[in-house]
Amino acid sequence: MIEFINVTKSYPNGDVVIDSLDLVVNPGDFIVITGKSGAGKTTIGRLLIKDLIPNKGKIIFDGEDLAKIPPKKIPLLRRKIGFIFQDFKIIPDKTIGENISIALEIAGFNPSKIQQKVTRLLEMVGLPKKENLFPMQLAGGEIQRASIARAIAADPQVLFADEPTGNLDEQTSIEIFDLLKKINADGTTVIMSTHDVTLIDLHKARHITLQKGKIISDTGGKKKSPENTTKEKIDAKPESKTKK
Amino acid sequence: MKTALKNIRRSPFQALAAILVVTFTIFIIGIFSLVAIGSRTILLSFETKPQVIAYLKDDHNMSQVGNLINTLTSTEGIKNAIYISKDQALELYKQSVANDPVLLGSVTDWGIVTADILPASIEVTANNPSSFPVVVNLLEQSEIVNVNPQGKKDIDFPQDIITELTKLTTAIRFSGLVLVLIISLVCFLTIVTIISMKIASRRSEIGTMKLLGANNSFIVKPYLQEALIYGFLGGFFGWILNFIALLYSTPFIAPRLSGIISFPISYTFLAIHFASVLGLSLFMSFFAGLFATTRFVKRSK
Repeated sequence: MIEFINVTKSYPNGDVVIDSLDLVVNPGDFIVITGKSGAGKTTIGRLLIKDLIPNKGKIIFDGEDLAKIPPKKIPLLRRKIGFIFQDFKIIPDKTIGENISIALEIAGFNPSKIQQKVTRLLEMVGLPKKENLFPMQLAGGEIQRASIARAIAADPQVLFADEPTGNLDEQTSIEIFDLLKKINADGTTVIMSTHDVTLIDLHKARHITLQKGKIISDTGGKKKSPENTTKEKIDAKPESKTKK
Repeated sequence: MKTALKNIRRSPFQALAAILVVTFTIFIIGIFSLVAIGSRTILLSFETKPQVIAYLKDDHNMSQVGNLINTLTSTEGIKNAIYISKDQALELYKQSVANDPVLLGSVTDWGIVTADILPASIEVTANNPSSFPVVVNLLEQSEIVNVNPQGKKDIDFPQDIITELTKLTTAIRFSGLVLVLIISLVCFLTIVTIISMKIASRRSEIGTMKLLGANNSFIVKPYLQEALIYGFLGGFFGWILNFIALLYSTPFIAPRLSGIISFPISYTFLAIHFASVLGLSLFMSFFAGLFATTRFVKRSK
């Protein structure tokens, strides 16, 4: 589904962020990319949505060479890839509902079905009745959930989550992980970048470690152990607030 | 449209400035167009009702007059020709001085002005001023037309008035056009500036929308709609001001243009005028919005 072939990305100042990267992502994969700051985790996502252009190598998505996609068709590519941004990128003066519906409008959903879908998405991410609230009225974890809802609104083939738990407490992070796993279980390929290795162990996902733009380890897609799911661990714990 | 209305609500003073500028522009354009149409109608009235008057010698007879009228009316470009006798000339004189008791008294009370001292004449109406030379030529060849002390045939025609009026109309059109172009440019630039400012202030939001897969048309659509709203409201209010100005000036203008333009102005004309200025306003605003958004799209590539 996604293939990075000998991809290199460097910036004009000479910093090489992705160095001869080879990576294959299969449909339905749940991939967790870890690495220190500047290892190139976010760059992979930005290359994937053609927000950045590689200096060398080829990126194939859905059988199509991204280099051959003309600028006019980049929006179509981006609609196939849901992106959860590290800084959320939730529009502050739009309500949570409006933030989600904008993704549906962009994808060309029928206006009459948008409201119904927004409600369903908010229920799915655990934010029912928060539709008319503004982002500043929500906690960090709730905003992140809203950004997940927005990213999956248009039913993308791939979901790239860039440090989705970056500024969240452990409990909320586990819940976000669970949510991403659930999305993956529904058939969406999920690529998540994070520095929180502890939580990754819980999920036993395919784990790729990046260092200076190179893959230094790849577990190759281990299956999740059913008896040790994060969901079960959360269920065992007393109810806790998601707000920070 | 919802986004466009929200954008307007978020920055009401910018929206107000844009609407006021469009309103003012459309008001000026509307007034200019009314003046231009009015002056054209006046000119047309003079052009289509030109009368050439030839004063006749006292010794003419009706047979000669009949022959001359036949010659004139059978000539192309001449609408009609009528004979005004001395008595009819006196009646016309009385009508023209009816409001002046002294001059009227010279006819009715003191008998100073009588039919004998007024010349009979032939009044010719041509279809357009280009026929004047033909009319004058025919009249100059006629023996019954009087010769004035300068040795020329005694013929009057309003060529000078039409020339002056044409010059005036051209001047009004030219100066009006310059004024309209200047204020239209100001209006255009104001809308471009306001829309550009709004786009600039939402750069981050637009960036997010692009990352979500929004294409340029999706991003610029609300701004174009916003420009159209300015155009619609400005055009509407501008025309309303035009209408009010027309209503208030009617008592002053109507008597002066009696017989040339009929007042009150017909609803059909008003409807056409409204549709025209509104169309112009929408076009101008849309074009300004398109200009601003196109600049943004080019820059954001």
